Amino acid sequence: MPRRDGEYMGVDSDSDISVGGERKGKGKDKTDKRKKDKAKTKATEAESDHLQAAYTWEASYTRSWDTVREDEAGSLQGAVEDWMARGRRRRLLAPAAPVRRTIIRHLVLLLDLSTSMLDRDMRPTRFDLTLQYAREFIVEWFDQNPLGQIGIVGMRAGIGERVGEMSGNPQDVLKAIADRHKLEPTGEPSLQNSIELAKSSMSHLPTHSSREILIIFGSLTTCDPHNIHETLDACVATKIRVSVVALAAEMKICRELCDKTGGQFGVAMNEGHFKDLLFELIPPPAQRALSRAAGAGATNPAADLMMMGFPTRLPDASPPSLCVCHSQLRSDGFLCPRCLAKVCDVPTDCNICDLMIVSSPHLARSYHHLFPVKPYSAVLSMADASTSSGCHGCARVFPLVALAAVSEGMSAVGRYRCPDCRGEFCSDCDVFVHDVVHCCPGCGQ
Amino acid sequence: MDDDSKGSHLSVVLDLSPTHWELSSRDAPENTYPLTLATFLSQLLAFLNSHIACRHENTLAVFGAFPGKSIMLYSSSNAVLDSLSTDVNANSYPPFNIVDSTVVQRIMTELDSLEEHQEEAPTALVGALVKALCYVNRITLPTSSNSKTQSNGFHPGVLPDPRILILSVSPDLSTSYIPIMNAIFSAQKLKATIDVCQIYGPNTVFLQQAAHLTGGSYIFLERRDALLQYLIMSFLPPPSIRKTLSVPTQEQVDFRAACFCHKKIIDIGFVCSVCLSIFCQPLPVCTTCRTKFPMKTLQRLNAARPLLATGNSTRPSQSRMSTAGGPVTNNGVGGAPAAPHGGGQIANGNTNGARCVFHLG
Amino acid sequence: MPSISLTAPTVLSSSPHSLLPFLQSQSQTTLTRLYQRPSACLSIFRLLAPLQQQIVMNLLWLESAIASSTMAAWVVREGKKHYDTALSTLFRLHILSTSPIKLALNPTFKTSFRQALTGGGTTGSFGAPAPNDDKHPPMGIDGLDGYALERWETILHYMVSSGTGQNSMRPSKDVLYLLQRSGLMASPHGSLQITSAGFQFLLHSPHAQLWDLLLQYLRMAEERGMDLVEVLSFLFMLSTMELGREYSTEGMNGTQAAALTQKAMLNDLRDYGLLWQRKPSSRRFYPTRLATTLTSSSPPLPTSTGPSSGPKEGFIVLETNYRVYAYTDNPLQTAVLNLFVALKYRFPNLVVGSITRDSVKKALSNGISAEQIISYLMAHAHPQMRKNNPLLPVTVQDQIRLWELEKNRLKSQEGYLYTAFTSPADYELVLNYAKQLDVVLWENAAKRCFFGSLDGHANIKGFIERRTGGNA
Repeated sequence: MPRRDGEYMGVDSDSDISVGGERKGKGKDKTDKRKKDKAKTKATEAESDHLQAAYTWEASYTRSWDTVREDEAGSLQGAVEDWMARGRRRRLLAPAAPVRRTIIRHLVLLLDLSTSMLDRDMRPTRFDLTLQYAREFIVEWFDQNPLGQIGIVGMRAGIGERVGEMSGNPQDVLKAIADRHKLEPTGEPSLQNSIELAKSSMSHLPTHSSREILIIFGSLTTCDPHNIHETLDACVATKIRVSVVALAAEMKICRELCDKTGGQFGVAMNEGHFKDLLFELIPPPAQRALSRAAGAGATNPAADLMMMGFPTRLPDASPPSLCVCHSQLRSDGFLCPRCLAKVCDVPTDCNICDLMIVSSPHLARSYHHLFPVKPYSAVLSMADASTSSGCHGCARVFPLVALAAVSEGMSAVGRYRCPDCRGEFCSDCDVFVHDVVHCCPGCGQ
Repeated sequence: MDDDSKGSHLSVVLDLSPTHWELSSRDAPENTYPLTLATFLSQLLAFLNSHIACRHENTLAVFGAFPGKSIMLYSSSNAVLDSLSTDVNANSYPPFNIVDSTVVQRIMTELDSLEEHQEEAPTALVGALVKALCYVNRITLPTSSNSKTQSNGFHPGVLPDPRILILSVSPDLSTSYIPIMNAIFSAQKLKATIDVCQIYGPNTVFLQQAAHLTGGSYIFLERRDALLQYLIMSFLPPPSIRKTLSVPTQEQVDFRAACFCHKKIIDIGFVCSVCLSIFCQPLPVCTTCRTKFPMKTLQRLNAARPLLATGNSTRPSQSRMSTAGGPVTNNGVGGAPAAPHGGGQIANGNTNGARCVFHLG
Repeated sequence: MPSISLTAPTVLSSSPHSLLPFLQSQSQTTLTRLYQRPSACLSIFRLLAPLQQQIVMNLLWLESAIASSTMAAWVVREGKKHYDTALSTLFRLHILSTSPIKLALNPTFKTSFRQALTGGGTTGSFGAPAPNDDKHPPMGIDGLDGYALERWETILHYMVSSGTGQNSMRPSKDVLYLLQRSGLMASPHGSLQITSAGFQFLLHSPHAQLWDLLLQYLRMAEERGMDLVEVLSFLFMLSTMELGREYSTEGMNGTQAAALTQKAMLNDLRDYGLLWQRKPSSRRFYPTRLATTLTSSSPPLPTSTGPSSGPKEGFIVLETNYRVYAYTDNPLQTAVLNLFVALKYRFPNLVVGSITRDSVKKALSNGISAEQIISYLMAHAHPQMRKNNPLLPVTVQDQIRLWELEKNRLKSQEGYLYTAFTSPADYELVLNYAKQLDVVLWENAAKRCFFGSLDGHANIKGFIERRTGGNA
């Protein structure tokens, strides 16, 4: 049980009364013991709770005072700014050149639906939490990967079960896991069966799209008909990237699946960490470094040029006509720019001329990855600042006196300057421009 | 629901391209309904005042897009600071006075300072739009630095239902495709509505998409003499009551994009599968991410190109405004002499600019 | 709408401003006279609901009337009912001139409101700013806030403490008279005591309280021989004034009667804290925040005089264990809390107490309802509390409601107790008869007695008499 992992426990149960070191040892003992007699968890837990006062919910409150520190004046301003400074530095470190990312993604979400998911170590149960996070994950994933598709496979009772077909419509995918009663966990999971199923549903995909499997795995066993290593080799051969988020503990086969296929492996320590692990997999993965290492000129076999059409949307009030995809009479729809056939929804392939029809906003969602705004530099002193009295973006008035002490990367006068247009911005706008808008108000691009 | 009791925020982005306003003010036969910048401003001010009149809490910000640069002309949170220094008289409501004089004064200063060769430059509409977004972000995010404005009756904790209204006279600027798209997505994230009124010139594809994607209205102004009535009927209602009204919606939305290579607006394009850059013709190497494309794809696509010849021609302008309750706008607007008290001259060098407009009439 | 910002949010949107019913009850001539002032038009317009405002705006710049059917087509079908009520309100306010087929604004209203929006005219209805005064330094906004707060809290504090017997500063005689007339306080035993309506009043938002009192003031105005139109337009003028600017009384126009009314109002409103004058005879005055936010829903006063600057949104933290932490050092807020919270400790900026059965019962017996307590707690919840959903712990809310129900546990009914039956048979006989009449409220066979309701008594009495008479 990783949540009760010795070190983690030791640090977090560190109350203000006891000394860290000693307590740490105790925590470890406890954990080890608990691992041995899992049957008596309840009694042991009650006892250990009594000793260590380590309910899960307490974890988020423990030593929270260590994270923030007041300055001499008793203000928390400094601590907050520190957080922001950390964010700024991270941005400065990020490469300015456009990063190549796979944007047309195909993902199969493998949900463990075995009895181990009914464990209550995560609130309310692993199963409910998984469903909840899976929904959030899907929404966010489609937001960032608008051209991607997700399929869902459940593993229970020793077989893989197709829960949702590959679809590019978030609503379809969400609907597939909307009803928890249809997904009630039973039996043992089978990694092999379900990976084979997921693999087969992606076999038809073109070479330029990425194929990924994300496994949320709560069990510590897998019940497979054949040698799972053969399946693993097949995944490597078909360039399927397998990532695993384990809820219980690390299993060798899971780790190997991820390592060999280039995926990520993580064991969730608690609810928050679970979510973090899951959401780390949302941003489009950068293209494998090997082509870059071989020189920019090297041909990437996965890359391709695709012809796409941008349709016109018909209003709800237009005269109804038959659509080419379902042959239904409806008034709204999109017109293929090449053959002017009417289709119901985008993105899709035109049924008549086979042109890929996408709505350009879908494509545009990912452009900020391509043209990031240059990081602003902090204006260090009043003497360096320009004459403008307010932020170039939101017109907030700049402070007139410089702060005495600031951490590295922060501006004492609260001004951040764009290297191109020389406009000066407040820290809020700095964050907003780089994280949300991806467009400098001064330069206009 | 609290929408009724709380005010709403309106950011107005003005396209102030001298060239296009000059074109717009020419008399018939070039324009059926000529509209000068002065008349436009007097009608706009009446609209801005109407917005402030609706609720004490309503906030307003005005941004101007000038050739090559954009500035904030007015914002209610900054105005409080210098309000007491301005003149008031017993015959007008002080906040109206401040808005009118500040906006007109700043526009005149900026336009006067423009040099001849700058006037031709395209307006920085994107810059103004992004500034409007920054401002919306600022007022929706209660931060420590806002606490000072709190005592002036401005409550940062209250989300004032943000809207952005773009009054545009320029045609699409295809270089601004990506920034506009980025701005649209951030508006979606801020839950801000973008309304667009195209006062002069052809329909703009990008602004149409902006209105469509954020749930706002796009209006192509046909009767430009009735500007004020259009503004009031379509853009004054806050989002909370828009669902009970038939506000104009778009008939057709053009989802075309601009290509990265020639900044042409295209129907059918070629897209790099790695970075999704759009090109108007097949290229051997992606200019954005430098991916090389396979030779056989290029040959295949080049072979398919002749088919596109028709597709690349400009699409006829298909969008126009419609109201579900059609007769209202048509009758109402048609019969209305919309200019409040007639529009006088604006540039008479008087510091009390806006007020003069109305008095002269 | 401003006045009801305290009540549950669901009720909020539908109920109109409390002034509107009062205006609707006025005659057309009064209203038309009122509409001659641009400032009054602007203020009344602000009090309208958004849809009503939109209708007015649509019609404002039209020169000719528009057919009602045309206008109605602009509303979607689901909004029809909403639209019709909006129209009827506007008709009753005489903002729309009455004509069934054509819609048009009242011409007076239209002219004045256009003038308000565009400026111009010579009505001077927005108040004449006083020329710069060299002798005295201008009054700062903080000073004005402090003054308004002090005046207003004096009134409220007086009301709170009247029940407890503590002495606090007495507001002026006129204010006391107003409180008495409005039924918020009464003097049954010679000294003024707060009434149950008064307790309820205390839990309202300052904005609602202000309008409550002003409405009462308006009702009294005519008795005092003041011109209602003058009173109203003076109030509306105040509401459009700018905080922190000095205005002069000179510019106020009108007849001698109007001037007298204004003079009287200056005095009264100074007592309520709506405006500030250097000395009573001064010819210039400053409106305070209470006045300038009359037509808004923003909290008119900074609620705390503590060291923290700016108005605080809320200060109360309520825990599931019924404990209340109130971050305030304001005696008035403490006193109001004391109405329904058992206070335990007081610190310089913190008051701690708990909601107990007794404390709530005390409040209930004062005529405060459970809903009012809950809505008060909600309205003043600390920003930290606002992160919770639901805002207040459900257990506490329910318990407060249960305590209210407890009060209604006993039901009294008048009746007669019948005892001393000589034999079980007699008892059975009478009881059965009473049961047939369905008047038995309680019975006890062991003690041979039962209780019958009042209206059955005559019959039972007659029956017994007949029985005993028959036996004898």
